[in-house]
Amino acid sequence: MAKVELKKVNKSFGNVHVIRDIDLEIENGEFVVFVGPSGCGKSTLLRLIAGLENLSSGVISIADRQVMDLPPSKRGIAMVFQSYALYPHMTVFNNMAFSLDLQGVTKAEIHQRVEAAAKILQMEHLLDRRPAALSGGQRQRVAIGRAIVRNPDVFLFDEPLSNLDAALRHDTRVEIAKLHTQLGATTIYVTHDQVEAMTLADKIVVLKDGEVMQVGSPMELFNFPANEFVAGFLGSPKMNFFKGVLVNGSGTDTGQFEGDSLQATNVRLVGSSKPNGAEVTLGIRPQHLVVDPAGQLKGTATLVERLGTETVIELVNGVGTRFRCASPESLDIEAGQEVSFSFNSTDAHIF
Amino acid sequence: MTRTLKHVILALIVFIWVLPFVALVTTSLRSETASKTSGFWTAFTPTELGHRFSTHDRTETEPFVTMSGNIFDRLNKVRDSFEVEGDVKSILFKGRAPDPDNPGKTKLLRQLIFAGDVMDVRGGEFVFQSNGDFTWTFPEAIAPKPKNLDTFINQDPVFGTDAYVEVLFENENVPNALIASFIVTIPATIIPITIAAFAAYAFAWMRFPGRDWLFVLVVSLMVVPTQLAFLPVLQGFSGIAAWATSLNAWMTDCEVTKTCQVASKTFASLWVTHTAFGLPLAIYLLRNYIVGLPKELLESARIDGASHLQIFTRLIIPLSVPALASFSIFQFLWVWNDLIVALYIGPADSSDLVFPIRLQKQLGTFKDQLHLLNASAVISIIVPLIVFLSMQRYFIRGLLAGSVKGG
Repeated sequence: MAKVELKKVNKSFGNVHVIRDIDLEIENGEFVVFVGPSGCGKSTLLRLIAGLENLSSGVISIADRQVMDLPPSKRGIAMVFQSYALYPHMTVFNNMAFSLDLQGVTKAEIHQRVEAAAKILQMEHLLDRRPAALSGGQRQRVAIGRAIVRNPDVFLFDEPLSNLDAALRHDTRVEIAKLHTQLGATTIYVTHDQVEAMTLADKIVVLKDGEVMQVGSPMELFNFPANEFVAGFLGSPKMNFFKGVLVNGSGTDTGQFEGDSLQATNVRLVGSSKPNGAEVTLGIRPQHLVVDPAGQLKGTATLVERLGTETVIELVNGVGTRFRCASPESLDIEAGQEVSFSFNSTDAHIF
Repeated sequence: MTRTLKHVILALIVFIWVLPFVALVTTSLRSETASKTSGFWTAFTPTELGHRFSTHDRTETEPFVTMSGNIFDRLNKVRDSFEVEGDVKSILFKGRAPDPDNPGKTKLLRQLIFAGDVMDVRGGEFVFQSNGDFTWTFPEAIAPKPKNLDTFINQDPVFGTDAYVEVLFENENVPNALIASFIVTIPATIIPITIAAFAAYAFAWMRFPGRDWLFVLVVSLMVVPTQLAFLPVLQGFSGIAAWATSLNAWMTDCEVTKTCQVASKTFASLWVTHTAFGLPLAIYLLRNYIVGLPKELLESARIDGASHLQIFTRLIIPLSVPALASFSIFQFLWVWNDLIVALYIGPADSSDLVFPIRLQKQLGTFKDQLHLLNASAVISIIVPLIVFLSMQRYFIRGLLAGSVKGG
């Protein structure tokens, strides 16, 4: 159980600067998810913490101990790889016992610890098998078991579910969440899947191009995104954006928006330093649009997707901006039809 | 259509490749006479054995009416090996018989007679059974002039291992060559593969300055032909030998017994040479295999606390078995079949000659005894064949199955 701290962490591969000045504090026992589009540096950041890559500059400390010069095995971490990385020539038992064996732990203790870990993951019956004889989900369990056996301060997961099919992914996600409550260890989890991020995390770190976009609890990020990127990244379907200018409200935390044939007052203003008249973007989630014949947002439907649980309508407005509306009701709207929407300005954001 | 064509071409290739081996084996199993007088392809069909039935020797004067016996007993009595057995199906009679058209004269007759047929030969009736029993009955007792019957007896194919017994047990050359070849080949296979495995791991997974350039350098050494290096290599070995000789003279009292000279051409020089010239290819092959192992496996082992040596012995070696096996077959075959390196750099004592040199020498001594030469050649082929077949089970497909996704 340990705190993980990153200070001014930088990493370059040659001329490519992939991690830029990242500062981050992860509390003891916290479940932190790094999320971002591919190439944002989230896996690299995890590998830096694991010690599989060397820092260009900065400080990483785990359990109040600087670890930059320590090899991965001495950092008190255990990692679960996306591709499982099981040792194919060893049985499940030996896979899990490998690290203990290298540490010189006695045979009796190895047995006891491996069996304890296997029990937690309910895979005692798999111990004599080889990885080739396991299904994808079972292999993932073994990989997690191998991490548990080491009894680490910090668990690192590198997109552990991306090789599983949808149903199994859901089950394993639930299990990882349970495991975290059971073990209480600090966990860092990398994913590009926002659903995993939202459901698992105590704290989400959104990354883009090697920089932290926002850090916070899932609902904080969802309801109060710090910038257009975070707003667009979290939530499905994606948030709608309309270009316009800030008419009023500079220096305060609410503003008035005009543009794209829309007007909104008393909207949450992100970044109070914007001057009046600055070009801004209005963001509003598709779920917050309500069909209203008197509404100011008008658009022509181009595509209607009926998902059963909700109806997603793609529209284009008079000036060619595309936007979406998602409604839990099954709306009686066909493609080509003109629809008007209204929205509550407290649900919108100005970036 | 193309499928048939492929099969035909494949069959043809297999035939061409297998034919010399069949020829070698067949010839080595035939008798000396047979291998000298006819090609190996005649060995599978019944052969004709020439034989003369003679009623009695000139010195015998006792008259008799019936001559009887067994064809096999007679055939085997005059042959020192390759027991003839089976069925006598037919006899080709060849000889002169009275010509019915020209009374008082004879004509050349060729007649095939079968078991149970009665043939009139020189005033007597000749009958034989398929088990070889025959009788030659005359109407009255004949003596003293012997009567002859020249025949060619159709005989089933015969094979024997006499040639192998002769080269393996009656002479020390081939057993010595076998031993010498093993002494050369086994270390000359194990040493380079061990060094190469370590080097390949370092080239694949350890970070050190100049790694890629060094690898290119090692691989480019593959283009240096062994023959080109003979002179410097030999000079090197004789330099070492001279140095060892003087050391020997200085350290021991060998000058008294005049045994100071240290040989420069030894088994060890062969090991060193074969190791040196085998390494570039070995490193290249193994490095390319090892670099293809999933990176996550090694990273996982690093997180588990394995050192480079532990990763090497506990992960890389077990997972590289197919590559190690295929290279050891390569190296074993190359060293086992090598003539020229052994000739220039290996020991020159007759008892230390390796197999290819021994075979080359036998070309001279056994040039009229093809069956012996071929028996030696087959023995030298069988060893790599056994090595290949026993290594076969290490070519395991899907060794990495289950380790990483898609595996």
